[in-house]
Amino acid sequence: MSTREPSDDGPTGDGATDDGRRPLPALLPPVLLGLAVLLVLQMIGLALAALLHLPIPGVVLGLVLLVILGLVPRTRGILRVAEPAGTPLLAHLQLLFVPPGVGVVVEMGALARNALPIALAVGGSFLLALLVVGRVLQALLHRQDRRRGDDGHQRLEGSGA
Amino acid sequence: MSGAVQTVVHLPIFGLVLTLAVYLGSLWLHRRTGRPALLTPVFVTVVVVAAVLELVALPYAEYLEQVTVLTLLLGPATVALALPLLANGRALARSAASVVLALMVGAVVSLGVTVGVLRAFGTDPEILRSVLPRSVTSPVALTLAESLQASAPLAVVLTILSGILGAVFAPVLLSLARVQDPRARGFAIGLTSHGIGTSRALDESPVTGGWSSAAMVLNALAMTLVLPLLAPLVSG
Repeated sequence: MSTREPSDDGPTGDGATDDGRRPLPALLPPVLLGLAVLLVLQMIGLALAALLHLPIPGVVLGLVLLVILGLVPRTRGILRVAEPAGTPLLAHLQLLFVPPGVGVVVEMGALARNALPIALAVGGSFLLALLVVGRVLQALLHRQDRRRGDDGHQRLEGSGA
Repeated sequence: MSGAVQTVVHLPIFGLVLTLAVYLGSLWLHRRTGRPALLTPVFVTVVVVAAVLELVALPYAEYLEQVTVLTLLLGPATVALALPLLANGRALARSAASVVLALMVGAVVSLGVTVGVLRAFGTDPEILRSVLPRSVTSPVALTLAESLQASAPLAVVLTILSGILGAVFAPVLLSLARVQDPRARGFAIGLTSHGIGTSRALDESPVTGGWSSAAMVLNALAMTLVLPLLAPLVSG
C-alpha cells in the first residue's frame, strides 16, 4: 500500500508528471507539501462555488473533493500526502476557533437579551439530539449485527485507507 | 508606561503572540489538572484573550486583523476533515443505512427543537439564523453563518458552547440513557458537539473517536445542504 502509484501523489494530480518513476513526495518537505495540497483543494472548491454559483460553501466542496480522491484507487495516495499537514491541523483545530470565539465580546449584548430562549434552544436540541441519536443508532447497529451473525466490533478499526 | 503598552499592543503580531501564548498556557493547565472538561483550552483561551483585549482597549476588529493567519488556516483544516471520515470509511459503509437514518433523525430533532423554542419565544430572525448551525463544526458553521447572513461570531460562540456541553455532559448522559455501543456513543457525540466533543470521545476509545469525527463531518455536510434551504422558511 505504501509504494503503489508513486507518480500520482503529486499535488491533486492536476499536473502530469512526465517522469513517472520518481516519488515526488519523498523529495519535498511533507508538512508544506500537505498544506499546499489542502490549500489547492480548498481553492478548487472556492473557485467551483464561485464560478457555478453553488449555494454550498467552497471549503466544503474542497472536503468532498478530498473524500472522492481518497476513494478512487488511482488517486488514493493523496491522503498520505495530505496527512502530515492535516493531522496537526485537526489536532489543534480548536486554536483556530479562538478569534471568532473572542467575538463573543462583540455579541455579548445580543446574547444577553436573548439568553433564555437561546439557552433553551441550544441546551434542548443538544440533549434531545444526543440521546435520540444514541438510542436509535445503537438499536439499528445491534439489529444489523445480529442479522450478520457477528458482534461487529473487530472490524471497526478502519483500515486507514 | 501606558504609552509603551499601547505601542506593543498595536504591533501587527501582538494578537497572534497573545493567542498562541494563552492557548499554550491553557493546554498546559488542562493537561496538568487532569483534562477537566470545564477547562477546555479553547474556552479558557477565548475568555482570557477577550479579557486582555478589554484591558488594553484593543478593538476586536484590529485583533481580528492581527490573527488573520489563524482564520486562513481554518480552510485547509476543514478540507482535512476528510481524513478521519475516510479512516472509518469501511465500517461506516457497512452500516450506511443505519448511519444515514441516524443522521436524519438527529437533524430533525436538533433543528426541530431549536426552531420550535426560538419561534415560541418570538426571537429575532437574525438570532435564529445564528443558532441554526450550532451543531456543525466551527469552520463550517462560520461559512454557513456567513451564507445565511447570520451573525458569524454569535454562531461560532454557540457552536463552541455546544461542544463544551458535549465534552462535559455527553458521556454521562449517554450512560444514563444506557447507550453503551461505542459506535452509537461516538456518533451521537460527534453529531451534537463536533470537534470539541470528538476530542473527548477519543479519550473513551478509538472507535468512539472515529465514529464521532465521522458524525461531525457527515453532519457538517448534511447541514450545509439543508440549512440554506431551511433558513428562509423558518426566519422569513
